[in-house]
Amino acid sequence: MQHLNEEQLVAHYYRDDDALAEANEHLASCAACAAEFDALTRVLALVKDAPVPERGDDYGEQVWTRLRWRLGAPSRRKQWQWLAVAAVMMMGLCTGVVWNGRHAPKQESIARVTQPVPAPDAGRIAGGTPNQRVLVVVVSDHLEASERMLTDVSNADPTKNFDAEAQQLRAAELVASNRIYRQTALQHGDERIASLLSDLEPILVELAHAGKTLRPDELASIQKRIESKGLLFKVRVMTAQTGGGDRVPAAPAANSL
Amino acid sequence: MELADATALSRARSGDADAFRLLVERHAKAIFRVAYRMTGNEHDADDVVQETLLRAWRQMGGFEERANFSTWIHRIAVNCSLDLLRSRSRHEKNLMSTTNNDDDDPPNELASGDPQPDRLLLSRELQEHVGAAMQSLSGNERTAFVLRHFEGMPVEEIGRTLGIQVNAAKHTIFRAVRKLRASLEPLVRTNPPCST
Repeated sequence: MQHLNEEQLVAHYYRDDDALAEANEHLASCAACAAEFDALTRVLALVKDAPVPERGDDYGEQVWTRLRWRLGAPSRRKQWQWLAVAAVMMMGLCTGVVWNGRHAPKQESIARVTQPVPAPDAGRIAGGTPNQRVLVVVVSDHLEASERMLTDVSNADPTKNFDAEAQQLRAAELVASNRIYRQTALQHGDERIASLLSDLEPILVELAHAGKTLRPDELASIQKRIESKGLLFKVRVMTAQTGGGDRVPAAPAANSL
Repeated sequence: MELADATALSRARSGDADAFRLLVERHAKAIFRVAYRMTGNEHDADDVVQETLLRAWRQMGGFEERANFSTWIHRIAVNCSLDLLRSRSRHEKNLMSTTNNDDDDPPNELASGDPQPDRLLLSRELQEHVGAAMQSLSGNERTAFVLRHFEGMPVEEIGRTLGIQVNAAKHTIFRAVRKLRASLEPLVRTNPPCST
C-alpha cells in the first residue's frame, strides 16, 4: 500500500476511511506514516482537551429566568379550549342582548349606544362589566399566543426560506378565535380591542393559508406589514394592559432578536 | 420521581411552560458546551443557549415524538451557532488578523522538562493558541469539525446539517484539521528541532 496522504490520515483518525484494515496494516509497518499519524493525534488531542468555561448548577435556572419573559406567560390552555370559552361567552352575550332588548327602556339603550367611548387605558380595560372582564381575560391569552407567533415571524431571517408548517395550524386556530373575539369586542363597543384584532386578522389568515415554506420575498412582505402597522408592539401593549403578561412591553424595534 | 424528557416534552408541547422549564434546566449546560465549542466565546454561547431554547419552544409543534429531545435540541443549537458564525464572519476575519498581528513570535513549544510555573503559563498559552486556531476556521469548517470531533456526529449527518454532500463534508473536516494542525503542531512536537 502507498503512503497515507493527509486526508486519508484524518479520515483514519475518525474511522471514516474506506479501507480501515489496510490503513492499520500500513501504519504498523511504515514509520513515516505512523509518525505523521502520531503528530495528527497529538494535535487533535490538544484541541479536545481545551477546556469549556464552567457553568454552575444553577445555570439552567438562570437561563430560564432570562428566557421566561420571552416565551410569554405560561399558557396551559389549548386553542380549542379558548374557542369553547369564547363560544360560551358569546352565548352569554347573546342572551344578555336579547334580555336587554326586551327589558331595557328604549331611550336608555340609545343613550348607551351614543355614549362616547372613554379613553382607553389599563384601568378601563381591567374594569367594565362582568362580560367585558371575561372578554379581557380570554383575549389576553389569545393575544399572547398571537404575540409569540408574530415575534417568531418578525425575527425570522428574511434572506432564507421560512418553515411555516409549524405555524399554520396555530394560525388557523388563532384566526377562528380572533374572529369571535373581534365580533364580541365590537358588540361591547370595545373599539380598541376590536381594532387591534382587525389589524391582526389578515396576518393570521395569511399565515394560516401560507404554504409549508414561505419564500424570502413572502416572508419579507409579511414582516413589512407587521412592522408598518406596529402590530407586534400594539399586541404587546394590549397584552400587558389586559394583564396577560407581567412584563413591560419594550419599545418597538425592527427585527430585534 | 424525575419526569422523563419525553413526558416533559409532551406536556411542554401542550403549552405547559413548567414542563419546558424542566427541559431547559436539564439541558442548558450541555447546550452551552456545544455552543461554546462552536462560537469560542462565552457570551455568544450564552446567547446561543437562549436562542436555541426559544426556537425549540416555538418549533415544539414540529418535533417528532419518536425523536430524541437531546439530539433535536443539539441540532437547533448547532444551527443557531452556525447562523451566528455566518453573521459575524466579517468580524471573525478582523479578529483573526488581530490575532495574527499579535502573534508575530512563534508559539512556545511544549517541553516536558519545564518547571511547573512555566508549564502552567504554557497551559494558558496553549489554550489561547487552540482558541485562536479554532477562530481561524470558517463557519462551515468549525461546525463540521466540532460535530465530528466533539459530538461524534457521522459525516452523513454533518452533511445534512450543513446542506452539503457527504464528500464535501469530509473535505470540510479535513480542511479544518489541516488548518488546526498547521497552527498547533509546533506546540506538540516531542523532539525540539535540531539546531545544527
